[in-house]
Amino acid sequence: MTNSSQNMQLQGGDSSSKPLLELRSITKAFAGVQALKGVDFDLKAGEVHALMGENGAGKSTLMKILFGVQPPDSGTIAIEGHGEVAIDDPRHALALGVGLVSQEPSLVPQLDVAQNIFLGQTDALSVVKRGEFRARAKEILKPLAPRLSVTTRVSSLGMAELQVVEIARTLARGAKIIGFDEPTSSLTPAERDGLFALIRQLKGSGKGIIYISHRIPEVYAISDRVTVLRDGLVVASRATSEIDPDELINLIAGRRLAEELHHPIKVDAGRGGSEALKLEGVCAAGKLYDINLTVRPGEIFGLAGLVGSGRTELVRCIFGADRKDAGTIFVNGKPLDIRRPSDAIAAGIALIPEDRRKQALVPVMDVERNFGLANYGQYASSGFLRLKQRRKDIGRYIEEMAIRPRRAGVRIRNLSGGNQQKVVIARWLQSGARILLFDEPTRGIDVGAKFEIHELMRRLAKDGCALLVISSELPEVLALCNRIGIMRGGRLVNTFDDCSQLNEDLLMKYASGEVALV
Amino acid sequence: MTPPPSSAAPVETPITAQKKGIQLEWVRRASVVVGVALLFIIFSVLTSSFYQPANLLDILLQSSINAMIAVGMTLVVMTRGIDLSVGSVVGLSSMIAASLLQGNLVLGIAAGMLIGVFCGLVNGFLIAKLKLPDFIVTLGMLSIYRGAALIYTDGKPIYGIDPLFRAIFAGEVAGIPTPVLLALAIAVLAFLLVRYTALGEQIIAVGGNEEAARLSGINIDRVKICVYAISGLLASLAGFVLIGRVGAAEPIGGTGFELQAIGAAVIGGASLFGGEGNPLGSLVGALTLGAMQNGLTLLNVPSFWQLVATGVVVILAVFADQATRRRK
Repeated sequence: MTNSSQNMQLQGGDSSSKPLLELRSITKAFAGVQALKGVDFDLKAGEVHALMGENGAGKSTLMKILFGVQPPDSGTIAIEGHGEVAIDDPRHALALGVGLVSQEPSLVPQLDVAQNIFLGQTDALSVVKRGEFRARAKEILKPLAPRLSVTTRVSSLGMAELQVVEIARTLARGAKIIGFDEPTSSLTPAERDGLFALIRQLKGSGKGIIYISHRIPEVYAISDRVTVLRDGLVVASRATSEIDPDELINLIAGRRLAEELHHPIKVDAGRGGSEALKLEGVCAAGKLYDINLTVRPGEIFGLAGLVGSGRTELVRCIFGADRKDAGTIFVNGKPLDIRRPSDAIAAGIALIPEDRRKQALVPVMDVERNFGLANYGQYASSGFLRLKQRRKDIGRYIEEMAIRPRRAGVRIRNLSGGNQQKVVIARWLQSGARILLFDEPTRGIDVGAKFEIHELMRRLAKDGCALLVISSELPEVLALCNRIGIMRGGRLVNTFDDCSQLNEDLLMKYASGEVALV
Repeated sequence: MTPPPSSAAPVETPITAQKKGIQLEWVRRASVVVGVALLFIIFSVLTSSFYQPANLLDILLQSSINAMIAVGMTLVVMTRGIDLSVGSVVGLSSMIAASLLQGNLVLGIAAGMLIGVFCGLVNGFLIAKLKLPDFIVTLGMLSIYRGAALIYTDGKPIYGIDPLFRAIFAGEVAGIPTPVLLALAIAVLAFLLVRYTALGEQIIAVGGNEEAARLSGINIDRVKICVYAISGLLASLAGFVLIGRVGAAEPIGGTGFELQAIGAAVIGGASLFGGEGNPLGSLVGALTLGAMQNGLTLLNVPSFWQLVATGVVVILAVFADQATRRRK
């Protein structure tokens, strides 16, 4: 930490100008988890500063603090021309010249491009000067995307164009500092190159850019400096050219996980001909088209694809959380009519959803009750709970899975992400699930626990469970899965039974459709 | 699994945040206690009769109807719902009961309770199965059930409630009014329901995070329908106490009870964010409101002003709930 901040000062040598932005000793805790433990970060004019780290390292929290979504617990924010500031809300951040291009554009689909660019800038009572706005919008867009019409409805735009509108919106308010939060997660490589050209242009005009990503090649392509966060601390902050990619992986993931990613530990692939889960022609209007796949017991099947390619929709459909319109789901060879989650649960299927807090946990309940949520069949006799039995069972899982703290009576929201995830997995193991659908199993989980979750998943496969795993972290998919399927636009476009020849770059290209199908 | 020793994950000890949450919770609870204490002190100083045992017993008796309804309201609020129709259910079920009591005591009681449950089932069905907003459904039903009560006897009251019925629902046992015992029993039963049954936990789960409950296979519709049915049933029992005490049933009986019940539930610790609440707490909430109204009456504050005071207290309680429980 001290080293890195010294480093940063030395780095400042290349330009003597005061930084545009200076964050000092920022700390933030959320219900029990210290998300930021004293983070320093600065940004100069005309610089692209990459912010890296695994999910849960603290990147998003830092950005939320900078853009006024949440206040820090302690620490200072200084912005050139304003001095030390307390940023109250995103509006205030914009007024201070700080804009964010978020992962999911927050635009109003029913309004046109010009209206979105000037959204919130009009006085509620004044007459909207549409013509004037359009002219100004055109002017702002001219260098960015001369062909984009300002009168197009935003609902008809693609992802790349939406980002351009978001960028224009921050520029319309005179933003000098622009943050990009995982801007390429739903872009094709061609669109990505377009975005990079745009970022270089912004950089040339003296803006400071914060570029958040966990894709290493992108960071080398676009950034001047890189700061790596791990578990809420800055572990490095240096010129990008001074770090080699292997070191960067180590810094981001920690050595243990980095080794795992370098040398995938695969479980023995599926046993014989039996099919734990089989989909035939599964369709859901507008979301999924003719999905066929098979997962065998003891197998970890990975689903890769861009955000919005239909992966989450597919597992929700299998689990009965969303409707399917056609196709058949076979469990252990028998066709099954799954209409609601309880049908899937009865058939031994479990869903470990992507957003734990919103979809898997009841935050006001304690660990034991969250564990019991899917198991009332076991723990209730004629309506009354068998509390002793349940307490005994969760105690066993707490020991076996090393869940911390060890007490079953603490509210689940006070556990770290990794421990929460273990409780969710324990819930489903107790329910007797043999087919586990994991949607982003290590999202928001710190690095040490990530490895534990991976080990746990491998052990489940060894025990003969069938695992279907979605992950946007391609190294994770490569390290964990026996077979990998690639989804694009709601279709399963390719399945690899042998993953030894695959790498991150290749997966990206398949996922975006730049490489023709095999 | 044996986690590799070197992977000992940094164990976060969430002391600060946990403490903060607990502190806020205590602030909220303490403010209720302090508020009640202040009420008692102020009224005891300003009037000579407030603290007399006879008056205190009177407060218990006056609060018991609201307490019974508030227990049901607490369960509904815990699922993140609301039941605005309770006052009308009081009116309708007590009219039906009163009309049938004259022939047969058991029939009257059974019919009144069944009507209460039925009203709740209709609310629950519309909210759970047709996915209509609880606020609008129960507001509409407030009007429909009231209308039904008025239509039933063409707006006329029913006089002459059976003496045995009155002894059961508005009598005394060992010097303690039966409504007080009834309210206490209901609150304790509801407390046990929340604490020791699957339904009770599912109520918390649905209110705490409906999507997580659904994805855990919990039958959400059934849970919701159950709490509205319980709310309707308890409203009908409250109606029995009302007509037992008055000695007549009026179709407009129970008007405005919904606000009192919501107030008692929230003062008692139920969170409008769902997932939290305590049926025993709603007793405290009902007593608080009851003591306030009693004290104001003793001070000769006109009843119109008491309405204003009640509204202010209820909004303050909701404000405290929002301020201490709002989460990002």
